[in-house]
Amino acid sequence: MRRITIGAGAGFGVALGLLGATGVARAAAPIRIGVQAPITGTYADEGQGIERAVKLLAAEQNAKGGLLGRKIEVKICDDQGEAAQAAICARQLVNDHVIAVIGSYTSGAALAAQPIYARADVIQTSDGTSNELLKHGYRTWFGNAAPNSAEAKFTAHYLVDVRHFGKIAVLTDHSSFATGLADAVVADVKADHGDVIDKSFINAGSQNFSPVLTKLKAMHPDVLYFSGYYSDGGLIRAQMVQLGMKAAFVGGDANQNVAFAKIAGPAAAGSVIINVPAPADLPYPVAKTFVAAYKAKYGALPPSVFTLTNADGMRAVMQAIAATKSVKPAKLEAYLHGMKSFQGLTGTFAWNAKGERTGSPFVAFEVQKDGSYRILYPAPTAG
Amino acid sequence: MGTFIQQVVNGLTVGGIYALIALGYTMVYGVMRLINFAHGDLCILGAFVGLSLLTGAAGSGHPGAALLLLAFVVSIIAIAVAGVVLERIAYRPLRKADRLAAVVSALGASLMIENGIMLVWGPQVHVFPAGLLPATTWHFAGATISFVQVMIILASLVLMAALYAFVNHTRFGTAIRAAAIDQDAARLMGINVNRVITSVFIIGPGLGAIGGLFIGIYYREAYFTMGWTYGLYAFIAAILGGIGNIPGAMLGGVLLGLFNAFAAGYVSSSWQDAITFGLLIAILLVRPSGLLGERVAEKV
Repeated sequence: MRRITIGAGAGFGVALGLLGATGVARAAAPIRIGVQAPITGTYADEGQGIERAVKLLAAEQNAKGGLLGRKIEVKICDDQGEAAQAAICARQLVNDHVIAVIGSYTSGAALAAQPIYARADVIQTSDGTSNELLKHGYRTWFGNAAPNSAEAKFTAHYLVDVRHFGKIAVLTDHSSFATGLADAVVADVKADHGDVIDKSFINAGSQNFSPVLTKLKAMHPDVLYFSGYYSDGGLIRAQMVQLGMKAAFVGGDANQNVAFAKIAGPAAAGSVIINVPAPADLPYPVAKTFVAAYKAKYGALPPSVFTLTNADGMRAVMQAIAATKSVKPAKLEAYLHGMKSFQGLTGTFAWNAKGERTGSPFVAFEVQKDGSYRILYPAPTAG
Repeated sequence: MGTFIQQVVNGLTVGGIYALIALGYTMVYGVMRLINFAHGDLCILGAFVGLSLLTGAAGSGHPGAALLLLAFVVSIIAIAVAGVVLERIAYRPLRKADRLAAVVSALGASLMIENGIMLVWGPQVHVFPAGLLPATTWHFAGATISFVQVMIILASLVLMAALYAFVNHTRFGTAIRAAAIDQDAARLMGINVNRVITSVFIIGPGLGAIGGLFIGIYYREAYFTMGWTYGLYAFIAAILGGIGNIPGAMLGGVLLGLFNAFAAGYVSSSWQDAITFGLLIAILLVRPSGLLGERVAEKV
């Protein structure tokens, strides 16, 4: 019953909006923002998350009187997560005279649309992180998710500059994901003048990690960084404690799973895991407000953190319009490129000249005795 | 020195588990000339049966040691029954058939048990309850040894000694050895070969269930594909010692555990398995029938 009421209410609102747009001549034309996202297909829940987030932000802003005295109007195009459809969407949204487009979810769809927006001078902000997206250096491109290398950079910064670990031992399994992350962390730790004393391997799933840990114990590391998966990570932590190793344990993002604490048992408490927090766990007050509003409106949590990075793209564009008092693409682009730091829902960040996000959404959190997480760094701040 | 002793303890613990599982391969091979590829999966099935009992009884207020003992008894019985059923269904009808048919049947049985575990318990990682055994650890010369490790090493040694005594110093043990040498001759001497084979499928999987449960208690996790990993290691341990040879399986298991610990600890962790198995190939090149020789029964 409640559902129907809300649906009818929303329909009424849309009808009112249409009336307002056509009926009242003196009202200024709305500011149009596009959403290009996979509303259907494999990534439908992600695409719908982006659509819902952008509509929510627009509705909130309109309730406050819109921007520059004008209402925000959201135009949606479903790219189905496919390159061919993405190009069609891009032309359609350009023809609709949007000033900025939020999305798409996949790098491939963002890439196909990129030159069309660039030629039409329409701002494009997407969570795509493929290096291809940075190749042409389009002024209209603003990636809103952290690049793939950000986790390693954050990890190195945390180990060397925040915790001041002297001797760092790195452990990885043989998977391409874990070795890639481990190699990047080793390189970034060295760049931060940290001391990697050893990089060792385990066979994922072999369970027998005591031999390699015994070897590492004799080297007296201050911290053991493990880039592999939780099922091995929990066991490594347990065997470290069993062997009497004093080193701290820091794990990569694949260690975040409820099973980690269960497997490590009493040894889990105090382990640190580095990952992007899930939408519900984001520590920033703006994020908590947004997630609560999203849940209240749609009855579910955002499907992933990428819903929120795209929301950050929308928020940045709205801030640019308000700050420059303009909807001219050149002015907005200059403002977005020039921002020193933007308080996003997913942490503070800025954009470099290529439109790549600098400032990572990663946090280091500590596993508690009851298996829950407590964020250690960056310390949650107001803002 | 502390590091060296620690590596020996590490190696002996997993080596003991490998040996317990390897005995199942070697006994079946000794009597039937068949590699029971489903053996590793039977062992892990034992771990899962024990896991269900332990998690079901967790928080019931009974002491951990008593629950554990019950888990071992139930798991041994369940897996011994499963072993006998496996032999009846998958191997007995093929006893006179081509050898290859039995091998394919064994591989099929392995997949069936593995996927059966997945269907019943699910594909995720399962965790054994904590605190069943005292968390006591002993330190000497810089090495740390836990209660669980001591228990596994001692229990493996006792079980292996008992099996050795049973096979070599009892009438039924003599019957097993006779059937291993020549089934037809054994039958002519009045030995019930079918009973011998059934007994082998009780003892091997029974010991395997103990090995599987040891894995669960030591690492506190179990997942359905584990049977393949441990089965492979134990099979190799059996080959290393000389397949069909009971003391050989024990020696092979312990040596494999030690090799693995020393390879990871002193040579290179990234080449751990390559070094272990390289060494194995080298040994087999010098002694093609394993360290203690294949089918020791012929020498009796």
